[in-house]
Amino acid sequence: MSYATWGDAKVYRSSGWLRYRIGQFSLEGEWTVDPGQVLTLFGPSGTGKTTLLRAIAGLLRPRDGHIEIGAQTVLDSESNVFLPPHLRRVGLLTQGYHLFPHLTVAGNIGYGLIDWTPEMRRRRLAELVELFQLSELVDRRPHQISGGQQQRAALARALAPQPALMLLDEPFNSLDIELRRSLRSELRARLKEAAVPAIMVTHDIEEAISMADLVQVIDGGRLRSAGAPLEVLGQPGHGRVARLVGVENLLDMTITSIHPQDGTMVCVAPDGSGLQLEIPLSDVAGGSRVTVGIRASDVILADPEPRGSSARNRLPGVVSRVELRPPGYQVTLACGSVDLKCHITGTSLNEMDIVVGKNLWAVFKASSCFLVSDEDR
Amino acid sequence: MGFSLKGPSSDAWPLGPITRAPSIGALATFLYVVFICLPILALLAKVVSHNDALASVASEQVVLALRLSLFTSGISMLVVATVGTPFALSLARSESTVMRLVDQIVELPIVLPPVVAGVAMLLAFGRQGILGAALAQAGIALPFTTAAVIFAQIFVAAPFYVRSAKLGFAAVPREFEAISQTLGLSPWRTFLKLTLPLAAPSLLTGLALAWARALSEFGATIMFAGNLTGKTQTMPLAIMTAMETSLEDAIALSVILLALALLVLGALGLVSRRRWQGSA
Repeated sequence: MSYATWGDAKVYRSSGWLRYRIGQFSLEGEWTVDPGQVLTLFGPSGTGKTTLLRAIAGLLRPRDGHIEIGAQTVLDSESNVFLPPHLRRVGLLTQGYHLFPHLTVAGNIGYGLIDWTPEMRRRRLAELVELFQLSELVDRRPHQISGGQQQRAALARALAPQPALMLLDEPFNSLDIELRRSLRSELRARLKEAAVPAIMVTHDIEEAISMADLVQVIDGGRLRSAGAPLEVLGQPGHGRVARLVGVENLLDMTITSIHPQDGTMVCVAPDGSGLQLEIPLSDVAGGSRVTVGIRASDVILADPEPRGSSARNRLPGVVSRVELRPPGYQVTLACGSVDLKCHITGTSLNEMDIVVGKNLWAVFKASSCFLVSDEDR
Repeated sequence: MGFSLKGPSSDAWPLGPITRAPSIGALATFLYVVFICLPILALLAKVVSHNDALASVASEQVVLALRLSLFTSGISMLVVATVGTPFALSLARSESTVMRLVDQIVELPIVLPPVVAGVAMLLAFGRQGILGAALAQAGIALPFTTAAVIFAQIFVAAPFYVRSAKLGFAAVPREFEAISQTLGLSPWRTFLKLTLPLAAPSLLTGLALAWARALSEFGATIMFAGNLTGKTQTMPLAIMTAMETSLEDAIALSVILLALALLVLGALGLVSRRRWQGSA
């Protein structure tokens, strides 16, 4: 095994699948992560994401599965292979960081280097302390440093023994919002530098989008959707996923005509209110019932009706509700029988003098609409 | 982790009814302190006025009792720590119903009158006891031997250690151990490098309390081990015997036990100050 710096250490793709059952709850997972990639498992709390991480780390033993970490098979249920956590070469970053309180920052970072020669341990420690800008804190105890510093120290500790796979369980949960945003890019950069495959669990959509190269949406112990972050979370093509990521507008519509030359389709609300939308072309037949998703941040409010706009959808409506939704406001526009939600800034709200009862136009591009398939119906 | 509870400053809180009547608190404090300190001061005063008392420290009976007490309690603590540590860890970690039942009886010896414990041990290990015949066959006679003294001490003192150690182990978050293992340390090394040092203050507290209890053991010892000078006559027994013949010896022995008690108290204070901040 190479104990040199990250540059020389060999890193491998990590992949696997597993099935885990406890009582009524069952969990299935499947993943492939390349070195330097971050895979984010996104989903609401209590849906088995953390359990999945623990199983990959070897802290739980799934009934069926096959896991490869660092070109080593650490679990294979068929041939009865099960490596305990200390032989798996995984790094674990937990929600609370769990720095060991009886050791200094340096003691924590060097904890996993117990079998290295003193000279190599000293060199590795110096390298990490410099990289993570912890040189002034090495002699402090964990309770004497800030939350962000704790995260850095815990990450340095996890990376010190050169893990073949990093596991991050809600790594920003115990930080305040400001710090979260600023530390996200830092953490991502460090994982890239380490060129280690990483799997991160989060229930925060911003975190999932900003940290991940790949996203898997997990709900009820099942993989619901997978792909590039914006693809999966920006225009989620799956009913449950759309609801999980909080797509504000989900409209039931019927396809009336298809226009391949424009790459669009036209659909109407089935209640006969005359509400009509242009949406991107998709392989559904005319006359089929579909659910159309529109993010509230993609809807523009206009007064009066905008002429000469390239946006294909312009719906008249009456403001039925205005709510504070930091950092801006959420305006609900009653367009016939449909309530359309729209996110605007406080400045726009004031300038346009938007109050309940005002007549406005909702404007959005056809490409802002996306079809949501819904298996559950 | 990493936080400490900071009490609000006293002026942020309106004064409660109790603090508004400080005289009651002061009176109670006075009564308590006088009640505890008066007998101890009386003992020390007697030592000062009785020049012979200090000379008695070297008397044969005192030396024999002191040596026996230190020897037996030392062996007891060795056994208590060796068996009690893994036992306490299992108690802290296991969620099985059996272990929860076991947990209930751990502290029985603390509430049981020691004399009863002595009778019970005679009925178990004595010549007429349940195991008596088997022990006799193996050529072992426990009652009225130094081994019996150790048995009695372990019986009454072990729960103090086990209880404290169990709480200490339970206060070490499992997440710490999980992380230690992902860092490449086997469960056994994780115990030595992480769990044990984190629980150490609780283990030391428990051991100090158990040792103090073993040193003061009287009831179970006199029932099960008897009162044989140099063999089963520990310091508390020697004090009772000396009261009938030589008050000086009794006082000398009492002062030694008092000094040992103060030593334990000081050790406890040191240990509690070493507790890891923010956890355990």
